[in-house]
Amino acid sequence: MSRSSGLMPAESASGATLHTIVAVMSFLACLALGFVLTLGRLASEWTEGLSGSVTVQLLPSAQISADDQVKEALRLVKNWPGVFSARALSRADAEKMLEPWLGQGNVLQDLPVPQLIEVTLQPGPVELEGLGRALSDGVPGAHLDDHQRWNAELAAFATSSEAVGWSVLLLITAATLAIVIFATQAGLQAHREIVEVVHMIGARDVFIANEFQRHFLWLGVRGGIIGLVLAAVTLVGSSFLMDSREAPVGAQYLPQFVSSPLHYTWLLLVPVMMGLIAMWTARFTVLRVLGRMP
Amino acid sequence: MVRFENVGMRYGLGPEILRDISFTLDAGSFHLLTGPSGAGKTSLLKLIYLAERPCRGAISMFGRDIATTPRDELPALRRRIGVVFQEFRLLDHLTVFDNVSLPRRVMGESEGHYRAEVEELLSWVGLGNRLNAKPATLSGGEKQRVAIARAVVAKPELLLADEPTGNVDPEIGGRIMRLFIELNKLGTCVMIATHDTRIMERVPASRIYRLAEGKLTVAKAHEFMAEAKRA
Repeated sequence: MSRSSGLMPAESASGATLHTIVAVMSFLACLALGFVLTLGRLASEWTEGLSGSVTVQLLPSAQISADDQVKEALRLVKNWPGVFSARALSRADAEKMLEPWLGQGNVLQDLPVPQLIEVTLQPGPVELEGLGRALSDGVPGAHLDDHQRWNAELAAFATSSEAVGWSVLLLITAATLAIVIFATQAGLQAHREIVEVVHMIGARDVFIANEFQRHFLWLGVRGGIIGLVLAAVTLVGSSFLMDSREAPVGAQYLPQFVSSPLHYTWLLLVPVMMGLIAMWTARFTVLRVLGRMP
Repeated sequence: MVRFENVGMRYGLGPEILRDISFTLDAGSFHLLTGPSGAGKTSLLKLIYLAERPCRGAISMFGRDIATTPRDELPALRRRIGVVFQEFRLLDHLTVFDNVSLPRRVMGESEGHYRAEVEELLSWVGLGNRLNAKPATLSGGEKQRVAIARAVVAKPELLLADEPTGNVDPEIGGRIMRLFIELNKLGTCVMIATHDTRIMERVPASRIYRLAEGKLTVAKAHEFMAEAKRA
């Protein structure tokens, strides 16, 4: 007997069913994991992006001209300890920012868009409260927006979305466990004759369990890889679609799914997990069946 | 080698199908087990090859009391027993060679160690040219010979065969019986369950066991044959 020919049939109807089930569940688990990883990345990007900068809004004031208002505000901000740089946004910059919501056209020209100064902070603590007071006192119509409200709301949104994502992933994992266990047990029932015959000719329980678990490990891994490949195609395809010119309006503002190599490494764990679940189920079930035999 | 004392057996909560079975099988002895269909011959063999447990009585195998032998030590005892199942029980996805070499593989031997022996054995039972055939492509007689080869390939101390010549022609049947006799001469204890009176005339059985209505009676071979001829 060649060592490569295991005790288990290489192909069987139950094996094909298990393959399909594992592939589908692996696909869903990869999508859910991709969703959770993307949300986690977005949450940190938003938080980091907002906490590293503040904005000064300059509303029109009768006490000071617009140009003087900008000059005074810039002077005050640039000299404030902890400020890295400050830049007054042009009208064109502001219009570009509003374009996704209001579209192109003449509408913006008629709107009283406030003058904005983008302030980039140095890493470390910055006395923003003091800067806000100094601006209010020194420059009529000036208001400092430290993004705290946005930051808190975005962080809360990201955290709750991430929690939903983890819940979905948990549910899919639980369903996967149940389905793979059920399918594995059904597959084992189909091969009960093998278990009995090999047991009767003197095989130890561990020998039989090893043969079965090896078979089901590869069966689970193969199914998992099929699901992973399908999920990767879906995720990468959706990212390309969002970036393409044919994408619907606004799609480019949606986040890219699974963007870093680390994320793909996490996804690679899914087939491994599928294989391990199938393997341990097979081992546990075979040992239980054998335990009932004399 | 094998000792049964007042053994009883039932399946589940059903009636006792074997009652007060007592006998001994000594090393190197040759026995026949006969009796009408449904008398319990297969069940008795199952008790001997440790596939079933008795509901009462004591069984001793190779000097070990089965009731007190830990479960994880039973495989070592089973490896000392070769079994020819009545329904063959070959693994359909394995080749003839793989089926026959299964007991050697289970013992942890490498293929290089047993390949020549298995091929020689298969040639001996007339299957030398069917090494790579799957059981589904074999005739009933060929399957039976594969089952017999699997039972003897590990040179068991005790060989149990359930109707081993039931599906083969007289010539192959004769060769199989000669194989059993040769094994017996080498020290293997043989017990054959059969209806075939030709076997009873051909083999050197020291005792013939007769099962009827769950009870076992023992007769010397020549007495049994004389009685059978009179009947």
